[in-house]
Amino acid sequence: MQPDATQANTEATLSVRGLKKVYQTDGGDVEAVRNLTFDLRAGELACLVGPSGSGKTTLLKCISGLMAPTEGEVLLDGKRVTGPPKKMAVVFQEYGRSLFPWMRVRDNVELPLKNQGVPKGERDRLVDNALEAVGLSHVPRSYPWQLSGGMQQRVAIARAIAYQPEVLLMDEPFAAVDAQTRADLEDLIRVVWKKLGVTVLFVTHDIDESVYLGERVIILSSSPTVIQEDIQIDLPADRDQLNTRSLPRFTELRHHVYEQIQLAKKGHRPAAATSGGAGTE
Amino acid sequence: MRTARNIGYILGLPALLVLVWWVSTLGSVNFFVPKPADLVETFGEVWFGERFFSDVLPSLGRLVVGVAVAILIGVVGGVLIGSVRWLRALLEPTLEFFRAIPPPVLVPVLMLLMGITDSMKVMVIISGCVWPVLLNTIEGVRAVDPVLSDSAHTYGISGWARVRYLVLPSASPQIMAGVRQSLSLGLILMVISEMFASSSGLGFTIVQFQRSFAIPEMWSGIVVLGLLGVAMSFIFQWAERNILRWYHGQKEVENAA
Repeated sequence: MQPDATQANTEATLSVRGLKKVYQTDGGDVEAVRNLTFDLRAGELACLVGPSGSGKTTLLKCISGLMAPTEGEVLLDGKRVTGPPKKMAVVFQEYGRSLFPWMRVRDNVELPLKNQGVPKGERDRLVDNALEAVGLSHVPRSYPWQLSGGMQQRVAIARAIAYQPEVLLMDEPFAAVDAQTRADLEDLIRVVWKKLGVTVLFVTHDIDESVYLGERVIILSSSPTVIQEDIQIDLPADRDQLNTRSLPRFTELRHHVYEQIQLAKKGHRPAAATSGGAGTE
Repeated sequence: MRTARNIGYILGLPALLVLVWWVSTLGSVNFFVPKPADLVETFGEVWFGERFFSDVLPSLGRLVVGVAVAILIGVVGGVLIGSVRWLRALLEPTLEFFRAIPPPVLVPVLMLLMGITDSMKVMVIISGCVWPVLLNTIEGVRAVDPVLSDSAHTYGISGWARVRYLVLPSASPQIMAGVRQSLSLGLILMVISEMFASSSGLGFTIVQFQRSFAIPEMWSGIVVLGLLGVAMSFIFQWAERNILRWYHGQKEVENAA
C-alpha cells in the first residue's frame, strides 16, 4: 500500500505534477484542487475516488486539456498537455449529452476518425470492431436517443475505443445508469482494458466500483483536494461480479477505502499533503 | 384510408367556408363581394394567361431569391456572431436598432438609392427576412450543449468540422424557427415592395385592379397570395420534417419518458 510517487516517472504515460486549480468567481476565489501529484504507468487501470465535491471533475478537465490548471502541469508521454491531446479519449457521465443526437450510432463512432482523415476502409474496420467490442453490432442504424441509457454509454465507449487512445479518461461514466447495467458496463471496461492495453483513469464516487475495477485506487481528500491515499488493489486479474465481490480481500479493501473516504469527509488530511506537499514547488 | 382522412382534414374547413360564402351571396347584388362561381371564372381568366409570366413568376422569383439570400446571410452571420464573443458584444446593440426598423419604411429609401429595380425589391425582402434567421441562429449557436462541445473538443473536432458537425445541426431547430418566420415575412414584403411605383408583380396587379374597380380580379389576386402562402408552408413543413427528424424523434422519446 505504498504510494509510488517516488518512482521515476520516465515510464509514466500520464503524469500529473503539482496540479492546482482555483476558480475565480464573483464571490471570491474557490480553490477546487490544491496540490495533486500522481503518475499512471502505461496500461494501468486506476480509479480515482473521492467524496462528492472533491474536485474530481475539475481534475479530469485539467488532465483532458479542456481546462488550464492554475498551477502545475499534466504530462502525457512527457509532453505538456495544453489542449485536448490526440492520444486521449474521454467518456463523460452525461451520455445523453455527449453523443450527437442528429447522427446515427455508427456515424457517431465514426466521426472522430473521419475528422482525423482515417481512410474509409480502415475506419470501417475500427468502427465495426469497436461496436462489436461493446456488444452493439446490431444497432448501427439507430439514433442514440432510441437506445437505453446503458446502451448510449456503450456507444460513447465504442467511440472512445475506435479512436484508439493511449489514455482513456472516464468521468463517472456509470453514475446515471441502473445498478444491473452498471455491473455489465464495469465488466465491459475490464474486458476492453485487458484487450486493448490502454491506460485507463476511471473517476467515480462509488467505493465498491473503484475497488472492483481498479488495479490501483487513488483516494482524494475533500476540497481543496490533495491525495489522501494511493493504494494497489491486489485482487486477482480475472474478476467477476459474484466471486470477486465476495472475496475477503475485496471486503477488506472496500472497508479500507470507505474508512479513508469517511476521514476525508471529516476534513482529515494526510500529513504529507499539509506539510511537505505544498512546499514541493 | 389514412391519406383520405388527412385530405379530409386539409380540405374540410375550406370547403365549408366556400359553402357559407356561396349561401350568403346567393341573392346578393353587392358589387364589392363577388360570388364563388364568378371568382373561379375570373381566377382562371386572370392568372392562367400572360399574367402568370409577367406578374406571378417575377414576384415569385424575387421572393425566392430574397428569402434564400436572407437565410444564407442570417445563418452565416449568426454562426459568426454566435461563436465569437467580442463580435457579439460589438454588434448586438446595433443589430437591435436595425431589427427595430420596419422594413416597409425602407422601400422609399431603397427606391432612391437603387431605383425602381428588381434588386431594390429583393433588397426590401432581404432586409426584413434576415433578422429572424440571424437572431435565432445566434441564440441557437450560443445554446450548444457544453458537454457535447467538450466531447467534440476532446476528439479534436474544431474549426469548420465543428461548425458542420456540431454547431449547425445543434442550432438547426432554432434556425428553422427563424426560417419559418422569414417565409411569411417575405411574402408580405414581396407585396409591399411592389405596391410603390412598380409596373409588374402580384402586389402591383392587385393594387391596379382595386384602383380600376376590377373587384373580382382584385379578390382573385388575394386568393393567389393566400395559395402561395399555403404552398410555402407545405414546402417548409416537408423540409423541416426531413432536416429535424432527429429533433422531433428525440422530443417524442423525452416526452414519453
